[in-house]
Amino acid sequence: MVLEKKSRGLAALLLAASVVSGCGDGDGGSTTLTYYIADAAQAEVAARCSAESGGAYTFNVQRLPNTAAGGREQLLRRLAAEDRSLDIVSVDPPFMAEFANAGFLRPFTAAEREQFSAGVLDGPLKQSTFRDTLWSAPLYGNTQLLWYRKSVLAKAGVDPSAGPVTWDQLIQGATRAGVTVAAQGRRNESLMVWVNALVSSAGGAILQPGSENVPAAEVKGGLNTEAGAQAARIMHDLAVSPAAPAGFSTAGEEDSRAAFQAADGGFMVNWPYVWAAFDSAVEEGSLPANFKDDVGWAAYPRVDAGTGSAAPSGGLGLSISAFSSRQDLAVQAIRCLANERSQKDFMKTAGNPAALASVFDDPEIRQLFPMADEIRTGLDAATPRPVSPYYGDVTGSIQSAFHPPGDLSPQTTPEAANDLLEDVLSNKRLI
Amino acid sequence: MGTSRRTQVFWIAGAILIIAYAIVPVLWIVSLSFKEGDDITNNAFLPTVWSWENYRTVFASDLFTTALRNSVGMALIATTISVVLATLAAYAVSRLNFPGKRLVLGVALAITVFPVIAIATPLFNLWRTLGLYDTWLGLIIPYLSYSLPLSVYVLAAFFREIPWEMEQAAQVDGATSWQAFRRVIVPLAAPGVFTAAILTFFAVWNDFVFGITLTSSEAARPVPAALAFFQGASQFSQPTAPIAAAAVVVTIPVVILVLLFQRKIVAGLTNGAVKG
Amino acid sequence: MSTVEAPPRAPVAARRPRRIRLTDRARHERNLGWMLAGPAFIAMVAVTGYPILNAIWLSLFDYRLTDPGDREFIGLGNYATILGDGLFWQQFGVTALITVVTVAVELVLGFALAMVMHRALYLRTALRTAILVPYGIITVVSAYAWAYAFSNTYGFVNGLFGLGDFDWFGGTWSALFTVCVAEIWKTTPFMSLLLLAGLAQIPDDYLEAAKVDGAKAWQRVRRVILPNMKAAIMVALLFRTLDAFRIFDSVFIMTAGAQGTETLSFLAYRQTISRVMVGLGSAVSVILAILVVLIAVLFVKVFKTDLSQQRGER
Repeated sequence: MVLEKKSRGLAALLLAASVVSGCGDGDGGSTTLTYYIADAAQAEVAARCSAESGGAYTFNVQRLPNTAAGGREQLLRRLAAEDRSLDIVSVDPPFMAEFANAGFLRPFTAAEREQFSAGVLDGPLKQSTFRDTLWSAPLYGNTQLLWYRKSVLAKAGVDPSAGPVTWDQLIQGATRAGVTVAAQGRRNESLMVWVNALVSSAGGAILQPGSENVPAAEVKGGLNTEAGAQAARIMHDLAVSPAAPAGFSTAGEEDSRAAFQAADGGFMVNWPYVWAAFDSAVEEGSLPANFKDDVGWAAYPRVDAGTGSAAPSGGLGLSISAFSSRQDLAVQAIRCLANERSQKDFMKTAGNPAALASVFDDPEIRQLFPMADEIRTGLDAATPRPVSPYYGDVTGSIQSAFHPPGDLSPQTTPEAANDLLEDVLSNKRLI
Repeated sequence: MGTSRRTQVFWIAGAILIIAYAIVPVLWIVSLSFKEGDDITNNAFLPTVWSWENYRTVFASDLFTTALRNSVGMALIATTISVVLATLAAYAVSRLNFPGKRLVLGVALAITVFPVIAIATPLFNLWRTLGLYDTWLGLIIPYLSYSLPLSVYVLAAFFREIPWEMEQAAQVDGATSWQAFRRVIVPLAAPGVFTAAILTFFAVWNDFVFGITLTSSEAARPVPAALAFFQGASQFSQPTAPIAAAAVVVTIPVVILVLLFQRKIVAGLTNGAVKG
Repeated sequence: MSTVEAPPRAPVAARRPRRIRLTDRARHERNLGWMLAGPAFIAMVAVTGYPILNAIWLSLFDYRLTDPGDREFIGLGNYATILGDGLFWQQFGVTALITVVTVAVELVLGFALAMVMHRALYLRTALRTAILVPYGIITVVSAYAWAYAFSNTYGFVNGLFGLGDFDWFGGTWSALFTVCVAEIWKTTPFMSLLLLAGLAQIPDDYLEAAKVDGAKAWQRVRRVILPNMKAAIMVALLFRTLDAFRIFDSVFIMTAGAQGTETLSFLAYRQTISRVMVGLGSAVSVILAILVVLIAVLFVKVFKTDLSQQRGER
């Protein structure tokens, strides 16, 4: 199986191919749109759209930093500066509400909303709307799956393919089999993703309902609950168990993948990009050619056998700056940037799942992603991170209170985390 | 002072140890920058196969090449202006009597003490109002204010060492203070100016905080800030080896300056510093 | 790191013959003085003066950049919040610890380096060239080099010392250790060059005399070299302490502040840049600046670091 990416190699991906033409910013008559991208593969789609537009628009492509938090800070500063030269921005969904609330984004009209949400899966759609308005056109959706090595299942006594599994089963099974359960324990946005999935799966929510419409000081946390305690317990249990890979408290997505690929790899929760990444590793020679034959996938693990799984939700949306002087042109461009063809291309090159349901029926995609159905189901059932105009503070507090995972306690963490969250939001504490 | 063979061997051993101390970490990043594929994670100092791949990657990337251009351009401009302004100011404070002289020196000292991070946010707010945000000028100006104290101090020290009598002789010959400055002091101070320029270049080249807070696009982003924008094969991976290659590239100017001018730099850092 | 490492220079007025009355020449000199120093003065004040005052002003507000409508004057409220928060004191402790450890090690190491540079007859040029590389290298590059060296995925350190897959960045102490190593490596050369200058000015006669008196090497260091270098040492310590206290780049790159390795500069960064709580962040910055000034005052007043001594203006 050959992904397009492979032929181009790392160099092409790192390349931020600025598709610059025409003059830069400034004059309202210019047809050059400044486009902030979060993933190098977006540049290729942009180049195609620009060519297809027949000169209606071209792009000045600019990169965002390679971490979610870095991208948010960069956009926040630029938008707060009311920069008129910034037109289309790639927004990580949880940060959208913050930008929208501050008046940084141009809302999509009812007609545009209808167009950009037609056929979009539930998870990506939910996280693109705030106060019943669409602020981002979903470019891709993302959800984590449980990945496992088929060869360890018998010894572990767990079979995810047979039905939903719980975190406790995974930890015990992996311990029994002497293999690892890789998850993202690093103190960044990926830790927030994990906490949110655990709390949601336990039937709770990080913020109490209705908190998206109240001032920061009145936001109430939902962590000092049984769900919060379950999340703390599972994170702690995994971190201190023999099933935790080395360097658990500093492990991000790529470290998790490395742990899963190691000799004692067993289970992993991670985004679908890993499937394409296995190919690259095989090609580089760091994995045996038949590695993928041993890899299976299933729905994200649950907290209790009785509760539903709440798969993490990620992705990327395209928003228009409220300060852009070419907003109509930007809408026109987004029609191409986020259309079915673009989403499919993006899924093929970057390995990130489309937000449109129809892409998963594409034969080429189904061949490249044998787990297409599981991803689509996951995206439909995915639970977005809390929608809040103060999301930056919410995630900062959670990352502070739930790290390092090995030090958490179901008795004290929920209350401490909840207090920190509410105190930070009401400007009483620092993070 | 008597130096027996044994003590000399001792000092030479010390010298070799120190050279290793200074160079090994640099060699490590160089070695990492030549690794490829499996070698990157081989947990060994050296690659098994030396590859130029990472250098091709970074130079094929607009992200890096524009940042390099920004860094070089802004550092050269800031250094030039800084040294010119500092030369004038240092002459004034070391040679002339005028009210407010202590104020100039006091302000210079205060700036070296004030945390950069404390300046960054108010400056960001000011810059976005003035439209200087994310421009070369928006970075060059703070580079100036933060490098001027250094240049002023280094140059003032050099000016003080210039034989005072020569200026007086010139003045006796009927030259004004300005003429004395231009004809006598400037040629004598040239080596000092040069040293100040190198030290200023190092300081400006090193900037990170202004680079990450006062830029948001390729328009003005310098290399140290750009390293955080490198992306690997997926959006979750930081490409270690290409970052190492970029790091090596930005270290090359430093090494060249050091190789060419080590004597002057050492003099600039030590000369007059602790003279009794 | 600050952008600029100040050299150990003291603001010292050159002594001029006292003038009885303002002659034409003196007036000319006064005007020329401001003409020459003026541009530099303006460049320094224009950029730093306003931001500093602005930071002090903003620190009195509850002000979130994304919520400009809710800006509210709260007096010293932000300061009370910060000083009453355990996190501030914890990060103050971390900053102080990094400062004390790195400066102390740099002093000892820097002294050894200075001695070797002073004494070695061979390899002099190579030595001085090598030592300047860490001085001139970009702090961020140094931080990446060390972060990768200690990394259990990419690094050679674990392999060298047989530490398996030990995660240096997974624990507070080991993570702080790596940050300190990177800082020490980068800044010891600066320290050693300042000390070298002090060393160079000790007359050889003193040492000869001590040698004739039968003093051992260590006694010569303690009785002759160190007392004569006190001024140089104090200045080196002052400048390095001020710089170390503002450490940011290395922490940002190496640990991103995880595992309790955040420093005060990082705290200011997080409140202002990440949380866009401009008021609160400005207050952290002001407190940080005050602390730095206090350290400077401590050195000058209590330890009697006489900056003007350095210039030999007696």
